Amino acid sequence: MITSNRMQESGVWTAARSRHRVDLTRIVSFILLVIITLIMLMPLAFMVTTSFKSQRETMQYPPTLFPESLQFSNYTEIFSRLQFGTMYQNSLMIAVITVLATLLSSSLVAYGFARFRGKGRNLMFMLLLSTMMLPYPAIMIPQFVLFSKLGWVDTFLPLIVPAFFGSAYNIFLLRQFFANLPEELFDAGRMDGCTEIGMYWKIALPLSGAAMATIAIFSFIYSWNDLLTPVLYLNSADKFTLPVGMASLTSSKFRVAPWHLLMVASVLALLPIVVLFILAQKRFVEGIVLTGIK
Amino acid sequence: MVNIKRKWYQKTLTVLSTLLATTVMLSGCGSGGSSAGADGDAVTITYYTIDSPDRTFVEQLIPDFEKQHPNIKVKVATAPYEQFDSKLQTMIAGGNAPDITSHFGYGGFAEYYNKGMLLDMTDLLKESGFQADKYKIPKNLMDIYQVDGHTYGIPFSSYVTLLLYNKDLFDAAGVAYPPSDYNDKSWTFEKMVEDAKKLTVISDDPNKQQYGLQFGWGELDNRPFYFGAKMYSDDTWTNGGVPSESYFDSPESIAAYKKIFGLVFDDKVSPPPEWSASVAGQGGDPFVTGKVAMSVGGSWNLSGANDFGFNVGVAAVPAGGNDKVRSTLFVDPLFILKDSKHPKEALTWIEYLLQTDIQKQSIELSGGTPPVNQDAAEEYYSHFQSIDPKDLRNVYEGAYQYGYESFNHLIVNYSQINDMMINEMQPLQNGTAQVEDVMPKVQQKMEEILARSKK
Repeated sequence: MITSNRMQESGVWTAARSRHRVDLTRIVSFILLVIITLIMLMPLAFMVTTSFKSQRETMQYPPTLFPESLQFSNYTEIFSRLQFGTMYQNSLMIAVITVLATLLSSSLVAYGFARFRGKGRNLMFMLLLSTMMLPYPAIMIPQFVLFSKLGWVDTFLPLIVPAFFGSAYNIFLLRQFFANLPEELFDAGRMDGCTEIGMYWKIALPLSGAAMATIAIFSFIYSWNDLLTPVLYLNSADKFTLPVGMASLTSSKFRVAPWHLLMVASVLALLPIVVLFILAQKRFVEGIVLTGIK
Repeated sequence: MVNIKRKWYQKTLTVLSTLLATTVMLSGCGSGGSSAGADGDAVTITYYTIDSPDRTFVEQLIPDFEKQHPNIKVKVATAPYEQFDSKLQTMIAGGNAPDITSHFGYGGFAEYYNKGMLLDMTDLLKESGFQADKYKIPKNLMDIYQVDGHTYGIPFSSYVTLLLYNKDLFDAAGVAYPPSDYNDKSWTFEKMVEDAKKLTVISDDPNKQQYGLQFGWGELDNRPFYFGAKMYSDDTWTNGGVPSESYFDSPESIAAYKKIFGLVFDDKVSPPPEWSASVAGQGGDPFVTGKVAMSVGGSWNLSGANDFGFNVGVAAVPAGGNDKVRSTLFVDPLFILKDSKHPKEALTWIEYLLQTDIQKQSIELSGGTPPVNQDAAEEYYSHFQSIDPKDLRNVYEGAYQYGYESFNHLIVNYSQINDMMINEMQPLQNGTAQVEDVMPKVQQKMEEILARSKK
């Protein structure tokens, strides 16, 4: 502090001072960002620390941020008490297949809409988009009738198979993306004797990393968090997914919810999404770099 | 080079698209097994309940049952409490109805009955020679699920309203334990509030804050009944649950609600909702945290009492002004749904669950479900470590004597009524409105709901 005062007094340091001021605004904004980040991270941190508390401590008032003693046993208890491993496996399997299926089906349909011209194309696209307006409860019962006639109740099929038939929102997103790809790339492919499906696979898809990553994240999170569909279709405990199991932890109206275990479940349930996001972030950048045509 | 690459993507494409076919086939196998009905003479019946250990315990009884009845397989289907009703509706609409269930969710018997979901069991019971006496089901409990002499449900567990108290807090404050005898004339609502005042500790330190009483008698719309007010016209109880009139803005109702909400804001012996939520979490029971001395509520509050970490006692619900009624009964019946393809086998399963030794086993397996079978009841009375079996017996016998079945099981469209009550009474819970101002609005909304029910 003293040195900086001396610097201000002498005119020789004026240049240094102005640079100093720039740094100051940067520092202030940095500190501000750090504070905001910390505030945003608070619930997350609280979730993680609560997952290490004993049930007694979760009920303490005022709540403690740091656990009095670390209860690592919470992390083993959840597996014995909830069939957590089975649920995790089920959720993961359903989500991964759903993501792959959504990417494949939506991009294929979107490619068609983006690249081919033909009679009624716009009408078909409108029809497709109109399915976005249908809320799930409206199709819930007809769909249940369909799937139960197929004998699919209490299997994973009703949760997975619809993903193989595209989803309007993702198709819309990808169509816009594909339509913006430079025509020259496809012309070049055609000259090299590439088939249409080959251009889809080798030109359109690799250049759409960002859009595909977005869709992967969205469909993963949607499938991962979905409660209503698994509740409707799954009956046996060994087929339950994470949200169903976690809802049951709070839904017992007779007891105090085991918040410490719920937090353990939440921490573990969060992991795949964090990992997926880190992976997808790379693709975001890549996608932007690759699309540039010179 | 191009060829190799093309092969690679074609291969990937094939792999991905065969994924669809494989998953269809793989999981298809699973469904094939479950729908086996033609497998010899064995039939599969589905029992639908809440995914909570105190309900799913029946799974552990299935092996024994299937050994006794080799031609019947029992499958348990579950859903979380919040989603119980919507899943049931969807299953029925989808032609995939379970065979046996109860009103485990928000909806009650009257709702199921009026929607035509339930099988009239009268002939079935006659045919199989079902005797309520054989399973020691008290006659007045059997009557609850009869309409015009037709039986639609058979009771299998019976919860009553009782008063739980924290013996440790009573000892620390030097207050005498409340009596379990319903004939003790000195035990009145006023006396309970007086005791609660001695047990309440107001403190700036939230850790030392302690309340004397939480009053969860029945659902919100039942509560004035405790003080002798009439809420619904008498025809409700005989016509299948459609009240022709309601009386929520009567002076008696208003006086009753003033007493109830006065516990928080005038007497200051009951915790405000935000305090409860902060100590016990959303929807949790603050009594379990050991910071509330007395709790009036359903006997499900007792489940898990052996793990509470303090000594629990049970007492009679004090006299509140209604000479005939002091306890709300929550008798859970088992229903056979109308769409069941195997009602006979379903009844066999119900009868199995009602046997004395199975009802006894169920107490332990479920962590304290009160049996309806009176021969098994003795086992229930002695199930809780810190509770004198004599007290619990007194409380149950008194509750049967001064009890009535909870409105939520008997009135049509009850989930709508309950939602409306909770929403409209929110300002009263928070102390931001006066009872006199709120009740006329409640009455008006109630009339609207009831008018819809009559159609």
